[in-house]
Amino acid sequence: MKRTVIPMGPQHPVLPEPLVLDLILEDEKVVDAIPTIGYVHRGLEMMVERVEYTEMGFVVERICGICSFMHGMGYCVSLESIMNVEVPERARWLRLIWAEISRIQSHLLWLGLGADAFGFENLFMHCWRMREEILDIFEKTTGGRIIHSVNRIGGVKRDISDSELAAILVKLEELGAAFKQTAGVFGSDPSIAHRLGGVGVLTTEDARSVDVVGPMARASGIATDTRLIGANGYDQLEFEPVVETAGDCLARVVVRMREIDQSIDLVRQAIEKMPKGEGMPLENRPRGNPLGEVFTRLEQPRGEVLYYVKANGTKNLERFRARTPTFANIPAMIKLVKGCDLADVPNIIVTIDPCISCTER
Amino acid sequence: MANPLNLPMVGRSLRNLVSRPATRRYPTEIRPRFAGARGTIEFDVETCNFCMLCARRCPAAAITASREERYWAIEQLTCIGCGVCVDVCNKGSLSMSVNSRTVHTHADVGPQGQRPGHEEWRKPALAAEVPSGS
Repeated sequence: MKRTVIPMGPQHPVLPEPLVLDLILEDEKVVDAIPTIGYVHRGLEMMVERVEYTEMGFVVERICGICSFMHGMGYCVSLESIMNVEVPERARWLRLIWAEISRIQSHLLWLGLGADAFGFENLFMHCWRMREEILDIFEKTTGGRIIHSVNRIGGVKRDISDSELAAILVKLEELGAAFKQTAGVFGSDPSIAHRLGGVGVLTTEDARSVDVVGPMARASGIATDTRLIGANGYDQLEFEPVVETAGDCLARVVVRMREIDQSIDLVRQAIEKMPKGEGMPLENRPRGNPLGEVFTRLEQPRGEVLYYVKANGTKNLERFRARTPTFANIPAMIKLVKGCDLADVPNIIVTIDPCISCTER
Repeated sequence: MANPLNLPMVGRSLRNLVSRPATRRYPTEIRPRFAGARGTIEFDVETCNFCMLCARRCPAAAITASREERYWAIEQLTCIGCGVCVDVCNKGSLSMSVNSRTVHTHADVGPQGQRPGHEEWRKPALAAEVPSGS
């Protein structure tokens, strides 16, 4: 049969970021897809040679506008483990709280984009209205809506007062209750079920063979979650990874919806367990220059992220590398796209939650 | 065919008719920035001693300064608002206001080729600091 090549992207209404997929079609069926990335490459990893390691954290945050907090945190955690810096306890809990709030923000953003991709503009607006409230929390506590710049090597720059923390928790619980209504639409609407159910099924075996990470893996029945290794204070919280077994697009939506509730619960636990009081130490400034190399793992909203940092005892790092979750999930996306209908391609691309800015840095 | 008596949208529509709008009436009703929000870098040339720390630390290389010429300049549109310069300033010359940066709708290039968002200060040398013989 004659084959047609349809280039999808870099600008496409459904894509939040520039990704190119050359779709090779036989009639309406996709038989192959060739991804191309590199449209938003900014050379951030090269910048470590110019920017001093103390300031590089602020640049690393700008890898991505959605998981910016976690990127800054990952960089700081890496440098802290190279330099053997003990982070003050309250600072560690604050990081965890911000990280979980940014996960809620990211999932709400994604649910909105997903809803927009499968034609529910109203749902998109509802999700983003809730996300706006989270961004207000960020602006109040960190000073920035998207780029927070509160992480520093050895701690955090700003404190959140106990009364503010209580107010945040109240806000999050209200938001969780309001989200239930929206989640009900995602879960019960017949056209969403028709559009997503059974589409782009990634079986557990396939998921293992292409090494997917994050919500994508959990939607395929793999109970993987980097938070379970217990670093950064997660060992003191009680949680189970959210797992769905269907492996289709709908399961990926459900996993992310349930993770919003889970994150609200984690914030509640963290606020209960963190040391209370004003004026507690928030920062242990490191001394000297780092020497050594380290791998750090974190669970970002999109999955496991790896940072490799190699320091040579000077003010500038020798090498900085981030393996982002989207990069790990692209092979799965190609696997899913092969054999599906052209009309399902946008849904499959969107449900892996691609963050191309992260992938290209 | 849906049961005409079981329309969840009816209740929701009625609720939406009487509830407050979810959005702000933006141009007339503007939410002020929160205290402590990161906005624009403000500079006080009177207190600056041109130690150059801010220019050296700026991750975006937005600050240029010169001790000899007693000159300090910032490219507001290059600035990423991280606040490193405010943290390192020993003299308290730098502060961060909550106001967001001015939008430049066209490239107004200054007489010396300054780009939009360029702000500069020059401080006349104090008599006591002028080296003798000059």
